[in-house]
Amino acid sequence: MVRLQKVNPLDDKILDELGFTWHTDSDGTKYVSDELVKISPDEAEAFYTATNEIYDMYVEAAEYVIENNLFFDLGIPFNLVESIKKSWENDVHWHIYGRFDLAGGIDGKAIRLIEFNADTPTSLFETALLQWALLKHNDMDEQSQFNNVYKAITNNFKRLITLFDDTDIFDDRYDGWKILFSSISGNDEEEATTKLLQQIATDAGFNTSFEYLENTHFDENGIYDADENPYEYWFKLYPWEDIAHNEPELATTLNNIMQNQKAIILNPAYTLLFQSKGMLKILSDLFPDSPYLLKTSFEPLEGIKQVEKAVFGREGANTKIINADGSVTEQTDGPYENYKKVYQEYVDFPKDKNGSKYQAGVFFAYEACGMSFRKGSEIMDNMSKFVGHMIV
Amino acid sequence: MKHISSIAGGVALGSAGVVMMSILSGCEAPQEQQQNRFLVIEQQTNGKYIVVEEMPTEGASRAIIREKDENGNTTERFMNEAEMKALAEQEYQKVQDGTSETIQDGGGSAGMGLAGTILAVAAGSLLGNMIGNALMNNKNFSKNSASSNKSAYSRSAASRTSKSSTRKSFFGSSSRTSSSRSYGS
Repeated sequence: MVRLQKVNPLDDKILDELGFTWHTDSDGTKYVSDELVKISPDEAEAFYTATNEIYDMYVEAAEYVIENNLFFDLGIPFNLVESIKKSWENDVHWHIYGRFDLAGGIDGKAIRLIEFNADTPTSLFETALLQWALLKHNDMDEQSQFNNVYKAITNNFKRLITLFDDTDIFDDRYDGWKILFSSISGNDEEEATTKLLQQIATDAGFNTSFEYLENTHFDENGIYDADENPYEYWFKLYPWEDIAHNEPELATTLNNIMQNQKAIILNPAYTLLFQSKGMLKILSDLFPDSPYLLKTSFEPLEGIKQVEKAVFGREGANTKIINADGSVTEQTDGPYENYKKVYQEYVDFPKDKNGSKYQAGVFFAYEACGMSFRKGSEIMDNMSKFVGHMIV
Repeated sequence: MKHISSIAGGVALGSAGVVMMSILSGCEAPQEQQQNRFLVIEQQTNGKYIVVEEMPTEGASRAIIREKDENGNTTERFMNEAEMKALAEQEYQKVQDGTSETIQDGGGSAGMGLAGTILAVAAGSLLGNMIGNALMNNKNFSKNSASSNKSAYSRSAASRTSKSSTRKSFFGSSSRTSSSRSYGS
C-alpha cells in the first residue's frame, strides 16, 4: 500500500500568482493532490541509483543504434537522421534535462523503467517548485524531499559552456552567448514550463529571451527572434518528431544550421532516439539482465500480459493492455496510431487504499536530481493527478 | 542520504525561489519596476557577509540573509526593500562621517558587515543613482563593491539589430492549440 500524508492544499489564487494556472483539469477536478507520497531515504537513494544507471544504458544503446543504423527500426523520421548523428558527435549538444517514468520503487516493489521523456518533458514546474511549496505551506521540513531539480538544471545549463569541467569556471568561459526559448502560443503549461527553464538559464548566468515558436525566424545562418536578433542557442519545447512531420523544411534548415555551426538546438536531436519507445526494445536486447528493464519487443510477446504502445505516443494515448491470452482489457485512442508499435511486459503500479495507481517521475539533469508521482488508473493519461512526495 | 539533495530555504530555487517565498508568505506580488535586485547574502565563518547570488528582479529589491546561529545551523531570513534601505542609509551616514568600512582600502576583501555589504552592491537602486554614482567614483568603495559580490550577475540584454531579411517562420498553420496538460510530452 502506498503511504500517504494529507496536507493543506495551496489555494487557486496562490497557484495563479505563482504562474501555475493549469491547476484544474477539464472535468473540474484538482490536478494537484492534497496528499504526499511518503518514501524512505533508502527508496529515494534507490531511485537515484536506478535512474543514473538507466541513463548510462540509454547512452550505450544510442551508440549501438547509430553504429548499426537502426533509425528506421526506432521509427525515427528520415529527415532527422543527419541531425541526430551530428548532435551525437559533439558534446556541445548537451542534454539539458529529461524525465524517467518508473513503476515500483515504493511499497516493496522493484523499480522498472516504463519510458523516458527525454526531449520535451513537462511536470517540471510541479516537481521543482510546487511540491516544495506544499512542504513550505504546511510548515513541514522542506529538506525532506528529493528535489534538487532547479539547481541541477542551473548547473547543467552552465555545462553548455564548461562541458565536463567544473561548472565554477562558467564565468571565466562564458562570452555572452544567448539562448532563445520557444514554445507554441496558447498553451499555458508549455509556456510556463519554457519560461521556467528560461529563468533557470538566466540564474545560471546566460543572456536569454523568449519568443513564441510561430514568431521565431530561421535561415541557413541561424535562429532569430521577431526583431531579427540572432541566438547561439535555441531551446524549443516542441517535439523533434513533430518538426520532422509538420515542418519538414524547418527540419532541413535546422540540419544546415547545425552543419554550419551557427546555433545549437536544445534538447539535442539525439534525445529523439531516447524518446522513441523503440529504445525499450534495444535496451531489453542489450541488457537482458538489468533489474530495471521490462522485456520489450517489436512483435507481440508470447504468453504474457503486456502493453502495446506507439513509439512516439504521448499522454498514454494509443495504448493497449493485452492479457496473456491475447484479450484486451484496456485501450486508449489518440493521434499516434500510425506510429510503429512496441510491446512491453506488463507491470503493476503500486496502489493506495482506493486502488489508485502511482507512477514515479524522476528528473535527470547530468544526474538524477528530483522526483514526484502521478496518480491515475491503469493507463496514466492527461487526466492523471500530480502527487508530491516527502522523505520520512 | 548520500546523494539526495533537497531545497533549503528556497535559496536553491534562485530567482524563482524569492518569488515563491514572497507569495507564500503573503507579500504583495512583485510590481513592475526596473533594475531592482534580489540578493542572497551569506555570512562567512569570520562573521562578515558577502553576496553569493544577485539577480535582476521586476519587483521591489529583496534579500535573503543566510546566517549561522549559535549552534552552527544555517538560518535564513527575508529582508524587504524598506529594511534594506534603512541599513543602506545608516551605512551611508558612516560614509559621510568617513567611518564606513565600504570606503576603507581593502575593506571588502574578506567581506563586510551586513549594512556595508548591502550599500556596496545596491546603493544605486536603494538610495538613488546620484548617491550610487557618487559612491562608485570613490576608488575604495568601487573596489569593495566588486569584492563583496561573488555572484554571476547576468549580463546586459542582447543588443538590438534591425536588418530586414527573408528569414522564414514556421508553425503557422500546424500549431497545436490544445490547452490540456501534456505530461507525456
